[in-house]
Amino acid sequence: MSASLAPECNDVKERYDTCFLKWYSEKYLRGSDRENQDCAELFKNYQSCLKVALNERGINKLVEEAREDNKDNDVRLLSPPKK
Amino acid sequence: MKVFSNAVTYNYSWDEVSSANWQKYGPWNNKSEHVIAVDTLSRSVDPATGVLRTERLICCKQSAPEWIKSICGKVDESYVYEASYVDPSNKTLTMVSQNLTWSNLVSVQEECVYSPLSEGETLFSQSARITALCGGWQRIRNSIEDTLVTRFHENSIRGREGFERVLEMSRKVFAEEKERLQREQMIAA
Repeated sequence: MSASLAPECNDVKERYDTCFLKWYSEKYLRGSDRENQDCAELFKNYQSCLKVALNERGINKLVEEAREDNKDNDVRLLSPPKK
Repeated sequence: MKVFSNAVTYNYSWDEVSSANWQKYGPWNNKSEHVIAVDTLSRSVDPATGVLRTERLICCKQSAPEWIKSICGKVDESYVYEASYVDPSNKTLTMVSQNLTWSNLVSVQEECVYSPLSEGETLFSQSARITALCGGWQRIRNSIEDTLVTRFHENSIRGREGFERVLEMSRKVFAEEKERLQREQMIAA
């Protein structure tokens, strides 16, 4: 797995990434457990670590702007044509 | 504005490719030194469509040519915002990204799609729109854009080589894991 931009978050990130990948290939792609309860706690821990680092580096604001710019893509790609 | 586009066929199923994509910049990839960190910012599954939406922050470090630095300033470390959408019913993974930093100097908007060609083949198509905003004269901006297109091209070749290795390793590890589970089941039985 790749590193976090905040080295202090590497451990929690690694644990979450491993959990996610297992869920993605074993459950999500097979259509089960769409909520991904297994990794929820790990994700929460990872995010609380990462949020501090993003705030300190002032990246939060840039992300907010990009998210706003990306709204059209959300509309286009979140509701794909029915198969 | 310049456009870079590229298409690659991987001899792996879409399931394998879309799984390995999450590990693309991990230690198995020895050709992605310019990507120094990848963080997940949010992740959710749309209850109506089943689409998995992920936001990631990618941190890159790659030195720009000296002449560009002299015009635009130090642009070595940059952050990229990526939103990706996995549509499991149509089997497509779409990633759209834009640069977060230096966005007053240059705008890079990229879209990549992984879709199945056949049972064991997946098509990767990539297109990037590159616009230089720094440099004043159009002629200089054109050269900056050309240089960035060349850089995209070089990175795409290395990206392919690196990802091939990630795919090979993940197939190997997956097979080993399966074998290990079967052995355990046999011992248990």
